[in-house]
Amino acid sequence: MNLDLLRPEICMALTALAAVGADLLFKRKAIVTAVCLAGIAAATGLTFSIMGNAPQIIANRLFSLDDYAIFFKFLFLGLAFIVIVASVDYVNRMKDFHGEFHALLITATLGAMLTASATDIISILLSVELTAISFYALVGFLKNGKTAESSIKYVLLGAINSAVLLYGFSMLFGFTGSTVLSGMERATAAIPSGGAAGGAGLLFGLMLVIAGFGFKIAAVPFHMWAPDVYEGAPTPVTLYLSTASKIAGFAVLTRILVTPFMQPVALARNWGIILAGIAALTMTTGNLLAIPQVNIKRLLSYSSIAQSGYMLVAVAALGMSSSNFLQARSSLLYFILAFAFAELAVFTAIVVMSRNKPADLISDYAGLARRSPLLGVAMTLGLLSLMGLPPLAGFMGKFYVFTQAAQHGLLWLVIIAVVNSVVSAYYYLRIIKTIWTDEPASEEPVSSSLGPRFALAFACLGIAVLGVAPAIITRFSEFGSHMFMP
Amino acid sequence: MHIMSIPSALIWAVWLLPLGAFALISPLIRPFPGKAEPASFISIGAVGISFALSLWILASVLQAPDRQIILHGADWLSISGGPVFNFGLLIDPLSAVMLSVVTSVSLMVQVYSRAYMHSDPSYLRYFALISLFTAAMLGLIVSSNLLSTFAFWELVGLSSYLLIGFWFHRPSAVAAAKKAFLVTRIGDVGFLAALLVLYTKTGTLDITALNSPGVLSAISGGVLTWAALGLFLGAMGKSGQFPLHVWLPDAMEGPTPVSALIHAATMVAAGVFLVARMYPLFQAAPHALTVVAIVGAFSAVFAATMGLVMKDIKRVLAYSTISQLGLMMLGIATGGVWVGIFYLFNHAFFKSLLFLGAGSVNHATGTFDLREMGGLRKKIPWTFAFFVLAAVSLSGIWPLAGFFSKEGVLAAALDKQPVLFGFALLTTFLTAFYIFRVVFLVFFGDYRGSHGPHESSRIMLVPMGLLAVPAVASGWLNANGGFEHFLGDGATHGFWSGFIGALAHPLALFSLLAALLGVFSAYTLYIKRWISPDKVKWFLRSPYAIFTRKYGMDELYENIIARNALYRGVFQAADWTDRVVIGGASAGIASLTTGAGRVLRRFQTGQIQLYAVAAVLGMTAIVLIALVRG
Amino acid sequence: MTAGLNNYLVLSAVLFSIGLYGALSRKNAVVVLMCVEIMLNAANLSLVAFSRFVTPVALSGQTVAIFSITAAAAEVAVGLAVVIALYRQRGTVDVNDINLLKW
Repeated sequence: MNLDLLRPEICMALTALAAVGADLLFKRKAIVTAVCLAGIAAATGLTFSIMGNAPQIIANRLFSLDDYAIFFKFLFLGLAFIVIVASVDYVNRMKDFHGEFHALLITATLGAMLTASATDIISILLSVELTAISFYALVGFLKNGKTAESSIKYVLLGAINSAVLLYGFSMLFGFTGSTVLSGMERATAAIPSGGAAGGAGLLFGLMLVIAGFGFKIAAVPFHMWAPDVYEGAPTPVTLYLSTASKIAGFAVLTRILVTPFMQPVALARNWGIILAGIAALTMTTGNLLAIPQVNIKRLLSYSSIAQSGYMLVAVAALGMSSSNFLQARSSLLYFILAFAFAELAVFTAIVVMSRNKPADLISDYAGLARRSPLLGVAMTLGLLSLMGLPPLAGFMGKFYVFTQAAQHGLLWLVIIAVVNSVVSAYYYLRIIKTIWTDEPASEEPVSSSLGPRFALAFACLGIAVLGVAPAIITRFSEFGSHMFMP
Repeated sequence: MHIMSIPSALIWAVWLLPLGAFALISPLIRPFPGKAEPASFISIGAVGISFALSLWILASVLQAPDRQIILHGADWLSISGGPVFNFGLLIDPLSAVMLSVVTSVSLMVQVYSRAYMHSDPSYLRYFALISLFTAAMLGLIVSSNLLSTFAFWELVGLSSYLLIGFWFHRPSAVAAAKKAFLVTRIGDVGFLAALLVLYTKTGTLDITALNSPGVLSAISGGVLTWAALGLFLGAMGKSGQFPLHVWLPDAMEGPTPVSALIHAATMVAAGVFLVARMYPLFQAAPHALTVVAIVGAFSAVFAATMGLVMKDIKRVLAYSTISQLGLMMLGIATGGVWVGIFYLFNHAFFKSLLFLGAGSVNHATGTFDLREMGGLRKKIPWTFAFFVLAAVSLSGIWPLAGFFSKEGVLAAALDKQPVLFGFALLTTFLTAFYIFRVVFLVFFGDYRGSHGPHESSRIMLVPMGLLAVPAVASGWLNANGGFEHFLGDGATHGFWSGFIGALAHPLALFSLLAALLGVFSAYTLYIKRWISPDKVKWFLRSPYAIFTRKYGMDELYENIIARNALYRGVFQAADWTDRVVIGGASAGIASLTTGAGRVLRRFQTGQIQLYAVAAVLGMTAIVLIALVRG
Repeated sequence: MTAGLNNYLVLSAVLFSIGLYGALSRKNAVVVLMCVEIMLNAANLSLVAFSRFVTPVALSGQTVAIFSITAAAAEVAVGLAVVIALYRQRGTVDVNDINLLKW
């Protein structure tokens, strides 16, 4: 069974329990935070200890232990750490639920970590559900009409989506005869190449699975929940939802597509071109709808939808590349890293601004640079990176992804994407202009404690390093692109 | 004479120094608004050393084997199994010349700014941004990889954005900054697309490799043409070529020294530099080169006609810059790198001098409006002298710098594109006309403003004087064919035979004639009214009514001839095209995008089940598509 | 006559469609959750049927079904909790009335 290779996950599960326990035992709520951070740090250390093993499949073929999974484990642990650190002030808005909030964040992280290495229908379903259910609760945490609404929207649509996903998986199982990805791979290998792209049932199941994960990553037209949920949710949750949940969706979708469905070539091209179409639709819709928004969280949720579109470009390139797709995978991972840092910078600033009362309108950020230079600079850097301005992280990510797509015959998609990034400059610049040039309603400086400041500095550093010295980070993303292949 | 070759660390220092100045100044921006002086010294010191180093680089390149120094830097981005993007420096005659232009103009402008921006509360921010711009511009010039060129390209765009919107409490400045950024980014789409195409086809973005015949022949003709056109689209955006020129006149909302540095001498020339940098690639795509020539020639005439009717001195100069950049494009496309770059080289000096002069005039009168100036030559004699020298040089009158570079463009155009030669000659006439219109309106006649004009401080005049030297003499560098030899492959000859002999050429007479005709036309239109002392005396003897009637006649003269026939006619048409067609198209695209956003968001009604229906429809659609594709 | 794989698949597809239709059209959030249960059970049915006919020995489909029932129970539990929270905040469980967040 070699369950000991799931050390980091076990550690995270214990941390969640410890967080609840600490909440019961201690009055000082900072202890809960400390317990969570210590647990995450320990899990990170344990993840280091399982590095270097040859890619293998563990726990009765439920999980795979490969560099790809380890890359995402590090990423999710880092994100969770930063999110907790960034929201130390904000959580005072939900005093009575300190322990639950942190425990649910940890279980969501645990789910995301498991998602990244899951290789069986059972483990995929359970880990995806673990993340989703944690988020259903987290989204409704503030107990006001808005968060309740976004929570019910997320739950109902998420439940429908789960059913679709399960139905799709049952089709994949039925037409390949296996619940394990490697078993499915043996079935698709048996399909004569050059012939039809698998049976109709297989295609049907695969499309349902794509639709199901399309919901998780907020791809158009499965995206409509995202703006409402992002807007209503407490801001740290929005931050975590837009990064961890989405990235986990990409991690597992890519693994499902790449392990069994790269053959026959016609099948790979089939889903490749469909994803390319979804990508074009996603970035265009996201960018166009972001333009008229006045609520910053809503604007950023559309921006995040558009970013999903760019990531889908990389996944589509995977489908179109019939042989060497290591680079396309590495480009996806690189883009994800760049995206995560930018979102961290922007949302952490919003978390800080809304630590006492909601600051959801773009106009609330007028003159922010004067009230708090750190917040202003971090937000500007994050937005510029999302916009794709060289030499920041976002540009390198886009460039890397776009070259891969162009090399695999998706030049048309790349052109749509480049035009889209020009359109996006319009609304990103609008926020930047507000931050720097508008008159603030009050000159009162924005104070923040050490935690959020650390998070902002870390995010800015990441944005700068990924852009200026990408060579360091490409090692990491190339490391992560090694996936267990049956 | 042998000069020690420059150590490579110092070559890096050329662009890292201003960057260091930026890093040093920017953290200070907030806490010490009062103590601003040290910042300007840091910034000026950094660019001063850079200037000295770039002269050394120039000397070293002259002696270097193959006239090239290539420094391999760190691997910027390496993709295993794929190529490596190396951020290195490529120093060749082209970049060496550009380095000295940028550093020298930046140095002069920064010294000038010490006085010009003296009382501005954002003095520190100004110098931080100028340093950032200088670093980015120098990085753009020396980078050996198109990818890093692009990164710097965007960075100069960003610093230009920040500097145009420097006085952000003015809504017009903010709007202009945004317009500049967005319009140039439209061009950047082409640049980026070209990068992707080139990378996909060749697997490298190294400039030297891309320009080598072996790599170029590997790309098919059609693709190469598209790639070259993509690059040129980027260049059009940066260099304000028609129809992407609309941002440049508005960019004059920035401080005047910024206009001199960024929007006259350096950043807007980056487009020309890019075409020169990738010239072998353009040569391999002759159709693209023809497009460059046509767009350049058209922009030259088009912008010059607009310059004739502007009432704001900086806007005249802005249109003039567009027009001159058009001539540079034409020069490169028809005569090769040296023609265009020689023009760029000379233009940088006299145009920045013109802008600094305009800034000095503004200091004296408190306005940029030509109608509120006049008769200033007595009040601000030094500014007058420098401005006129630059104007004569711009008009292309022998023996000043502008003459020699204009000769190159005209000769090349006549040789390759005779029709476009006509455009260039017409531009010569128009250029002389509008710049002397400015000279006459500003410095001659009676003062029409209310502000008591005074000469600017010495800190402003000295840099102008220093710039006046190359504005007059930089053209002589090619009198013996030296510049051409340095950048191209022409042979050198005697200095005096080139200096005087240039006049013997019939072409020179044509262009001189056009220029002088322009000056004369401006004279008849604008001087007769104000400057003829005899007539003024004669009017003084006459009743006051005659004076006013005479004045009224002059008004009539200008109204009917200039305004009705010319302005209402030809130039109004050009202006109309600019505002309605070009402006309308870009506004139309903008409103289409925002409109689409507004319509689309109506589908997001907040109803859960509608969301689910959309998802189910999407799911059905992809299932059907997948099944149909088999 | 014994029921073949196709009969089960058709039944499962019909159940799935009924559930989906209900989820898209019913106005009460609790009923919507019940309809989702029908969809999930349709999927479970097809899993079990496939398992019986495609891999009769391995029982892998049945295992997935068992786990998915567990997960669905958890999901519905949270779902109902959210419905109660919504009712406390807004006094309604009609999904048509939940449209503060839009555009």
